[in-house]
Amino acid sequence: MMTRDLLEKVGLKPLSQFTDRAVEGVFISDMVSDVMAGAKSGNLWLTVQTHKSIVPAANLVDVAAIVITSGKQVPQETVDLASKYDIAILSTGLATFDLVSKLQACGLGGN
Amino acid sequence: MELRGIKEALEASVIAGADWLDGEVEHVYASDLMSDVLAFGEPNSVLLTGLAAQQAVISAHMAAFKGVVFVRGKRPKDTSEQYALDNHLVLLSSTLDMYDACIRIEFPQRQACADPADADHGPKAGAILLQREFVIRGGDFAEAGLVSTEVKSLLKKIGFNPGLVRRVAICTYEGEMNVVMHARRGKVSLTVAPDVISVGIDDEGKGIPDVGLAMEQGFTTATEEMRAMGFGSGMGLPNIKNNSDELKIASEVDKGTTLRMKFLT
Repeated sequence: MMTRDLLEKVGLKPLSQFTDRAVEGVFISDMVSDVMAGAKSGNLWLTVQTHKSIVPAANLVDVAAIVITSGKQVPQETVDLASKYDIAILSTGLATFDLVSKLQACGLGGN
Repeated sequence: MELRGIKEALEASVIAGADWLDGEVEHVYASDLMSDVLAFGEPNSVLLTGLAAQQAVISAHMAAFKGVVFVRGKRPKDTSEQYALDNHLVLLSSTLDMYDACIRIEFPQRQACADPADADHGPKAGAILLQREFVIRGGDFAEAGLVSTEVKSLLKKIGFNPGLVRRVAICTYEGEMNVVMHARRGKVSLTVAPDVISVGIDDEGKGIPDVGLAMEQGFTTATEEMRAMGFGSGMGLPNIKNNSDELKIASEVDKGTTLRMKFLT
Protein backbone atom coordinates (compact mmCIF):
# COMPACT_ATOMS: atom_id res chain seq x y z
CA MET A 1 0.00 0.00 0.00
CA MET A 2 1.35 3.42 -1.00
CA THR A 3 0.70 6.71 0.77
CA ARG A 4 -1.31 8.07 -2.15
CA ASP A 5 -3.56 4.97 -2.22
CA LEU A 6 -4.67 5.85 1.28
CA LEU A 7 -5.83 9.32 0.30
CA GLU A 8 -8.68 7.97 -1.75
CA LYS A 9 -9.38 4.70 0.06
CA VAL A 10 -9.61 6.20 3.52
CA GLY A 11 -10.45 9.77 2.61
CA LEU A 12 -7.34 11.52 3.92
CA LYS A 13 -6.45 15.05 2.88
CA PRO A 14 -2.78 15.79 2.08
CA LEU A 15 -1.43 18.97 3.71
CA SER A 16 2.32 18.88 2.99
CA GLN A 17 4.43 18.17 -0.12
CA PHE A 18 5.78 14.63 -0.14
CA THR A 19 7.11 11.78 -2.24
CA ASP A 20 4.87 8.70 -2.47
CA ARG A 21 6.18 5.69 -0.53
CA ALA A 22 5.10 2.33 0.88
CA VAL A 23 3.14 2.17 4.14
CA GLU A 24 3.59 -0.77 6.49
CA GLY A 25 1.75 -0.93 9.79
CA VAL A 26 0.21 1.70 11.99
CA PHE A 27 1.37 3.33 15.21
CA ILE A 28 -0.85 5.53 17.38
CA SER A 29 0.42 7.92 20.02
CA ASP A 30 0.17 11.56 20.95
CA MET A 31 3.38 11.43 22.92
CA VAL A 32 6.46 12.09 20.88
CA SER A 33 8.68 10.10 23.23
CA ASP A 34 6.51 6.99 22.71
CA VAL A 35 6.70 7.38 18.95
CA MET A 36 10.47 7.61 19.15
CA ALA A 37 10.49 4.45 21.28
CA GLY A 38 7.88 2.35 19.49
CA ALA A 39 7.12 3.39 15.91
CA LYS A 40 8.90 1.64 13.05
CA SER A 41 10.18 2.78 9.70
CA GLY A 42 7.33 2.90 7.18
CA ASN A 43 4.56 3.11 9.80
CA LEU A 44 1.56 5.36 9.46
CA TRP A 45 1.57 7.56 12.59
CA LEU A 46 -1.85 8.64 13.89
CA THR A 47 -1.92 11.56 16.32
CA VAL A 48 -3.78 14.67 17.40
CA GLN A 49 -0.51 16.50 18.08
CA THR A 50 0.04 19.31 15.62
CA HIS A 51 3.03 21.05 17.20
CA LYS A 52 6.00 21.28 14.84
CA SER A 53 7.99 18.93 17.08
CA ILE A 54 6.15 16.03 15.41
CA VAL A 55 8.15 16.62 12.21
CA PRO A 56 11.65 15.93 13.56
CA ALA A 57 10.24 12.89 15.38
CA ALA A 58 8.66 11.55 12.19
CA ASN A 59 11.88 12.20 10.33
CA LEU A 60 14.03 10.39 12.90
CA VAL A 61 11.78 7.34 13.12
CA ASP A 62 11.25 7.45 9.34
CA VAL A 63 7.47 7.00 9.46
CA ALA A 64 5.76 6.88 6.07
CA ALA A 65 3.24 9.60 7.00
CA ILE A 66 1.69 11.48 9.87
CA VAL A 67 -2.11 11.40 10.02
CA ILE A 68 -3.68 14.19 12.09
CA THR A 69 -7.06 12.97 13.35
CA SER A 70 -10.16 14.64 14.85
CA GLY A 71 -10.08 17.43 12.26
CA LYS A 72 -7.33 19.28 14.11
CA GLN A 73 -6.09 22.45 12.46
CA VAL A 74 -2.42 22.03 11.64
CA PRO A 75 -0.28 25.19 12.00
CA GLN A 76 1.33 26.38 8.78
CA GLU A 77 4.82 26.19 10.32
CA THR A 78 4.29 22.46 10.97
CA VAL A 79 3.18 21.89 7.36
CA ASP A 80 6.09 23.94 5.97
CA LEU A 81 8.62 22.07 8.07
CA ALA A 82 7.14 18.74 6.92
CA SER A 83 7.34 19.76 3.27
CA LYS A 84 10.96 20.77 3.79
CA TYR A 85 11.84 17.28 5.09
CA ASP A 86 9.58 15.41 2.65
CA ILE A 87 7.29 14.16 5.42
CA ALA A 88 3.67 13.50 4.45
CA ILE A 89 1.09 15.15 6.73
CA LEU A 90 -2.44 13.90 6.05
CA SER A 91 -5.60 14.97 7.81
CA THR A 92 -9.00 13.49 8.66
CA GLY A 93 -12.08 14.68 10.52
CA LEU A 94 -12.49 11.21 12.06
CA ALA A 95 -11.46 10.50 15.65
CA THR A 96 -8.52 8.12 16.02
CA PHE A 97 -10.69 5.19 17.14
CA ASP A 98 -13.02 5.61 14.15
CA LEU A 99 -10.18 5.84 11.63
CA VAL A 100 -8.70 2.54 12.85
CA SER A 101 -11.50 0.38 11.47
CA LYS A 102 -11.09 1.97 8.02
CA LEU A 103 -7.33 1.35 8.04
CA GLN A 104 -7.88 -2.22 9.12
CA ALA A 105 -10.35 -2.68 6.26
CA CYS A 106 -7.53 -1.58 3.90
CA GLY A 107 -5.42 -4.42 5.26
CA LEU A 108 -3.05 -2.40 7.42
CA GLY A 109 -1.77 -4.26 10.46
CA GLY A 110 -0.07 -3.07 13.62
CA ASN A 111 3.61 -2.31 13.66
CA MET B 1 -20.34 -3.41 25.89
CA GLU B 2 -19.27 -4.37 29.41
CA LEU B 3 -15.83 -3.35 30.66
CA ARG B 4 -15.27 -7.07 31.20
CA GLY B 5 -15.55 -7.60 27.44
CA ILE B 6 -12.95 -4.91 26.84
CA LYS B 7 -10.67 -6.43 29.45
CA GLU B 8 -10.89 -9.81 27.72
CA ALA B 9 -10.51 -8.43 24.18
CA LEU B 10 -7.37 -6.56 25.20
CA GLU B 11 -6.03 -9.35 27.44
CA ALA B 12 -5.74 -6.65 30.06
CA SER B 13 -4.94 -6.93 33.74
CA VAL B 14 -6.98 -5.06 36.33
CA ILE B 15 -5.22 -2.30 38.26
CA ALA B 16 -8.31 -1.06 40.06
CA GLY B 17 -12.05 -1.69 40.15
CA ALA B 18 -12.28 -5.48 39.67
CA ASP B 19 -15.78 -5.33 41.19
CA TRP B 20 -17.06 -2.88 38.59
CA LEU B 21 -16.26 -4.80 35.40
CA ASP B 22 -19.99 -5.19 34.68
CA GLY B 23 -20.12 -1.45 33.94
CA GLU B 24 -21.49 -0.71 30.45
CA VAL B 25 -19.47 1.52 28.15
CA GLU B 26 -21.00 3.12 25.07
CA HIS B 27 -17.96 4.60 23.34
CA VAL B 28 -14.18 4.36 23.11
CA TYR B 29 -11.90 7.38 23.06
CA ALA B 30 -8.26 6.83 22.13
CA SER B 31 -5.87 9.66 22.96
CA ASP B 32 -2.87 10.67 25.01
CA LEU B 33 -3.91 14.33 25.04
CA MET B 34 -6.14 15.05 27.97
CA SER B 35 -7.68 18.26 26.68
CA ASP B 36 -8.96 16.25 23.72
CA VAL B 37 -10.52 13.76 26.08
CA LEU B 38 -12.23 16.65 27.84
CA ALA B 39 -13.27 18.32 24.57
CA PHE B 40 -14.45 15.37 22.49
CA GLY B 41 -14.91 12.37 24.79
CA GLU B 42 -18.50 11.34 25.39
CA PRO B 43 -19.97 10.28 28.73
CA ASN B 44 -19.85 6.54 29.52
CA SER B 45 -16.77 6.00 27.38
CA VAL B 46 -13.64 4.05 28.12
CA LEU B 47 -10.35 5.88 27.56
CA LEU B 48 -7.48 4.12 25.80
CA THR B 49 -4.28 5.99 26.53
CA GLY B 50 -0.53 5.73 26.76
CA LEU B 51 -0.37 8.48 29.37
CA ALA B 52 0.41 6.53 32.54
CA ALA B 53 -0.33 9.32 34.98
CA GLN B 54 -3.04 10.36 37.38
CA GLN B 55 -4.00 13.21 35.01
CA ALA B 56 -5.38 10.58 32.62
CA VAL B 57 -7.57 9.11 35.37
CA ILE B 58 -8.74 12.52 36.57
CA SER B 59 -9.55 13.58 32.98
CA ALA B 60 -11.58 10.40 32.50
CA HIS B 61 -13.47 11.08 35.72
CA MET B 62 -14.14 14.73 34.81
CA ALA B 63 -15.47 13.63 31.41
CA ALA B 64 -17.77 11.05 33.07
CA PHE B 65 -15.97 8.01 31.63
CA LYS B 66 -16.31 4.54 33.17
CA GLY B 67 -12.71 3.45 32.96
CA VAL B 68 -9.20 3.80 31.57
CA VAL B 69 -7.06 1.26 29.70
CA PHE B 70 -3.33 1.99 29.71
CA VAL B 71 -1.86 0.60 26.49
CA ARG B 72 1.72 -0.26 25.50
CA GLY B 73 2.11 -2.11 28.81
CA LYS B 74 2.05 1.09 30.83
CA ARG B 75 1.03 1.24 34.46
CA PRO B 76 0.83 4.46 36.43
CA LYS B 77 3.29 4.62 39.32
CA ASP B 78 1.56 7.45 41.16
CA THR B 79 -1.66 7.55 43.20
CA SER B 80 -3.88 6.72 40.19
CA GLU B 81 -5.09 3.46 41.70
CA GLN B 82 -6.38 5.08 44.88
CA TYR B 83 -7.95 7.92 42.90
CA ALA B 84 -9.78 5.38 40.71
CA LEU B 85 -11.05 3.46 43.72
CA ASP B 86 -12.23 6.67 45.40
CA ASN B 87 -14.09 7.77 42.29
CA HIS B 88 -15.51 4.48 41.02
CA LEU B 89 -13.37 4.05 37.90
CA VAL B 90 -11.97 0.84 36.44
CA LEU B 91 -8.28 0.89 35.51
CA LEU B 92 -6.85 -1.73 33.17
CA SER B 93 -3.43 -2.28 31.66
CA SER B 94 -2.78 -3.98 28.31
CA THR B 95 0.47 -4.80 26.57
CA LEU B 96 -1.11 -4.13 23.17
CA ASP B 97 -0.22 -0.95 21.37
CA MET B 98 -2.96 1.56 20.65
CA TYR B 99 -3.70 0.41 17.10
CA ASP B 100 -4.12 -3.26 18.01
CA ALA B 101 -6.20 -2.28 21.04
CA CYS B 102 -8.55 -0.22 18.86
CA ILE B 103 -8.88 -3.06 16.35
CA ARG B 104 -9.75 -5.63 19.00
CA ILE B 105 -12.66 -3.70 20.42
CA GLU B 106 -15.58 -4.78 18.27
CA PHE B 107 -18.06 -2.04 18.75
CA PRO B 108 -21.50 -1.78 17.26
CA GLN B 109 -21.91 1.23 14.98
CA ARG B 110 -21.42 4.43 16.92
CA GLN B 111 -24.77 5.89 17.78
CA ALA B 112 -25.79 9.52 17.69
CA CYS B 113 -24.81 10.89 21.04
CA ALA B 114 -27.75 11.70 23.23
CA ASP B 115 -26.83 11.80 26.89
CA PRO B 116 -29.66 9.89 28.56
CA ALA B 117 -28.32 11.00 31.91
CA ASP B 118 -29.20 14.59 31.00
CA ALA B 119 -32.87 13.82 30.90
CA ASP B 120 -33.45 13.07 34.53
CA HIS B 121 -33.31 14.94 37.81
CA GLY B 122 -32.38 18.60 38.26
CA PRO B 123 -31.32 20.14 41.57
CA LYS B 124 -33.37 19.09 44.54
CA ALA B 125 -35.99 21.61 45.56
CA GLY B 126 -34.71 24.02 48.15
CA ALA B 127 -31.04 23.26 47.46
CA ILE B 128 -28.92 25.26 49.84
CA LEU B 129 -26.44 27.82 48.62
CA LEU B 130 -22.93 26.48 48.80
CA GLN B 131 -19.79 28.57 48.86
CA ARG B 132 -16.30 27.10 48.96
CA GLU B 133 -12.73 28.17 48.27
CA PHE B 134 -9.78 26.01 47.29
CA VAL B 135 -6.08 26.75 46.82
CA ILE B 136 -4.02 25.56 43.84
CA ARG B 137 -0.23 25.45 43.98
CA GLY B 138 1.54 26.34 40.74
CA GLY B 139 3.90 23.65 39.45
CA ASP B 140 2.43 20.95 41.69
CA PHE B 141 1.58 18.32 39.09
CA ALA B 142 1.08 15.60 41.70
CA GLU B 143 -1.91 17.42 43.20
CA ALA B 144 -3.20 18.85 39.93
CA GLY B 145 -6.85 18.02 39.37
CA LEU B 146 -7.80 17.33 42.97
CA VAL B 147 -9.65 20.64 43.40
CA SER B 148 -11.79 19.88 40.34
CA THR B 149 -12.43 16.39 41.68
CA GLU B 150 -13.71 17.89 44.95
CA VAL B 151 -15.90 20.38 43.05
CA LYS B 152 -17.39 17.58 40.96
CA SER B 153 -18.08 15.51 44.03
CA LEU B 154 -19.80 18.40 45.83
CA LEU B 155 -22.07 19.17 42.86
CA LYS B 156 -22.93 15.51 42.39
CA LYS B 157 -23.97 15.24 46.04
CA ILE B 158 -26.30 18.22 45.69
CA GLY B 159 -28.02 16.31 42.88
CA PHE B 160 -27.40 18.40 39.77
CA ASN B 161 -27.82 16.49 36.53
CA PRO B 162 -24.71 14.60 35.37
CA GLY B 163 -24.39 16.56 32.12
CA LEU B 164 -24.18 19.86 33.98
CA VAL B 165 -21.78 18.46 36.59
CA ARG B 166 -19.60 17.21 33.76
CA ARG B 167 -19.47 20.65 32.11
CA VAL B 168 -18.48 22.36 35.38
CA ALA B 169 -15.91 19.64 36.09
CA ILE B 170 -14.26 19.96 32.67
CA CYS B 171 -14.01 23.76 32.88
CA THR B 172 -12.70 23.73 36.44
CA TYR B 173 -10.11 21.10 35.56
CA GLU B 174 -8.84 22.99 32.51
CA GLY B 175 -8.64 26.16 34.62
CA GLU B 176 -6.87 24.31 37.41
CA MET B 177 -4.32 22.85 34.97
CA ASN B 178 -3.64 26.33 33.58
CA VAL B 179 -2.77 27.54 37.08
CA VAL B 180 -0.55 24.52 37.75
CA MET B 181 1.25 24.93 34.41
CA HIS B 182 1.55 28.69 34.17
CA ALA B 183 1.11 30.41 37.55
CA ARG B 184 2.64 30.49 41.04
CA ARG B 185 -0.58 29.97 42.93
CA GLY B 186 -4.30 30.26 42.43
CA LYS B 187 -7.63 30.26 44.20
CA VAL B 188 -10.83 28.57 43.08
CA SER B 189 -14.15 29.97 44.33
CA LEU B 190 -17.25 27.87 43.92
CA THR B 191 -20.66 29.44 44.45
CA VAL B 192 -23.77 27.35 43.99
CA ALA B 193 -27.24 28.85 43.73
CA PRO B 194 -30.34 26.92 42.67
CA ASP B 195 -30.33 28.53 39.21
CA VAL B 196 -26.63 29.11 38.54
CA ILE B 197 -23.24 27.64 39.44
CA SER B 198 -20.34 30.12 39.40
CA VAL B 199 -16.68 29.17 39.39
CA GLY B 200 -13.96 31.79 39.70
CA ILE B 201 -10.25 31.05 39.29
CA ASP B 202 -7.78 33.78 40.26
CA ASP B 203 -4.08 33.23 39.87
CA GLU B 204 -0.85 35.04 40.59
CA GLY B 205 1.52 34.50 37.73
CA LYS B 206 2.82 35.70 34.42
CA GLY B 207 -0.60 36.53 32.97
CA ILE B 208 -1.72 36.30 29.34
CA PRO B 209 -0.42 39.06 27.01
CA ASP B 210 -3.14 38.56 24.39
CA VAL B 211 -6.34 36.95 25.65
CA GLY B 212 -7.91 36.91 22.17
CA LEU B 213 -5.00 34.90 20.82
CA ALA B 214 -5.05 32.55 23.82
CA MET B 215 -8.72 31.78 23.10
CA GLU B 216 -7.85 30.44 19.64
CA GLN B 217 -7.87 26.67 19.35
CA GLY B 218 -4.33 25.35 18.99
CA PHE B 219 -2.56 28.39 20.43
CA THR B 220 -0.20 27.27 23.17
CA THR B 221 2.74 28.45 25.23
CA ALA B 222 3.20 25.06 26.90
CA THR B 223 6.59 23.46 27.25
CA GLU B 224 7.56 19.98 26.07
CA GLU B 225 7.20 18.77 29.68
CA MET B 226 3.60 19.99 29.84
CA ARG B 227 2.79 18.31 26.54
CA ALA B 228 4.24 15.11 27.95
CA MET B 229 1.57 15.40 30.67
CA GLY B 230 -1.09 15.33 27.96
CA PHE B 231 -1.84 19.02 28.21
CA GLY B 232 -0.78 22.16 26.43
CA SER B 233 -2.25 21.44 23.00
CA GLY B 234 -4.02 24.79 22.93
CA MET B 235 -7.44 23.40 23.80
CA GLY B 236 -7.84 24.61 27.38
CA LEU B 237 -9.51 28.00 27.08
CA PRO B 238 -11.59 27.01 24.01
CA ASN B 239 -12.73 23.95 26.00
CA ILE B 240 -13.82 26.18 28.86
CA LYS B 241 -15.68 28.52 26.51
CA ASN B 242 -17.53 25.64 24.85
CA ASN B 243 -18.59 24.06 28.13
CA SER B 244 -19.66 27.17 30.07
CA ASP B 245 -22.68 29.44 29.62
CA GLU B 246 -20.67 32.55 30.36
CA LEU B 247 -16.93 33.12 30.47
CA LYS B 248 -15.07 36.30 31.38
CA ILE B 249 -11.27 36.47 31.33
CA ALA B 250 -9.14 39.32 32.57
CA SER B 251 -5.37 39.19 32.64
CA GLU B 252 -2.48 41.46 33.46
CA VAL B 253 1.06 40.53 32.43
CA ASP B 254 3.30 39.66 35.41
CA LYS B 255 0.33 39.89 37.80
CA GLY B 256 -2.10 37.13 36.97
CA THR B 257 -5.30 35.97 35.34
CA THR B 258 -8.89 35.76 36.51
CA LEU B 259 -11.56 33.50 35.03
CA ARG B 260 -15.25 33.92 35.80
CA MET B 261 -17.43 31.05 34.62
CA LYS B 262 -21.18 30.62 34.93
CA PHE B 263 -23.28 27.53 34.35
CA LEU B 264 -27.07 27.75 34.23
CA THR B 265 -28.72 24.84 36.00
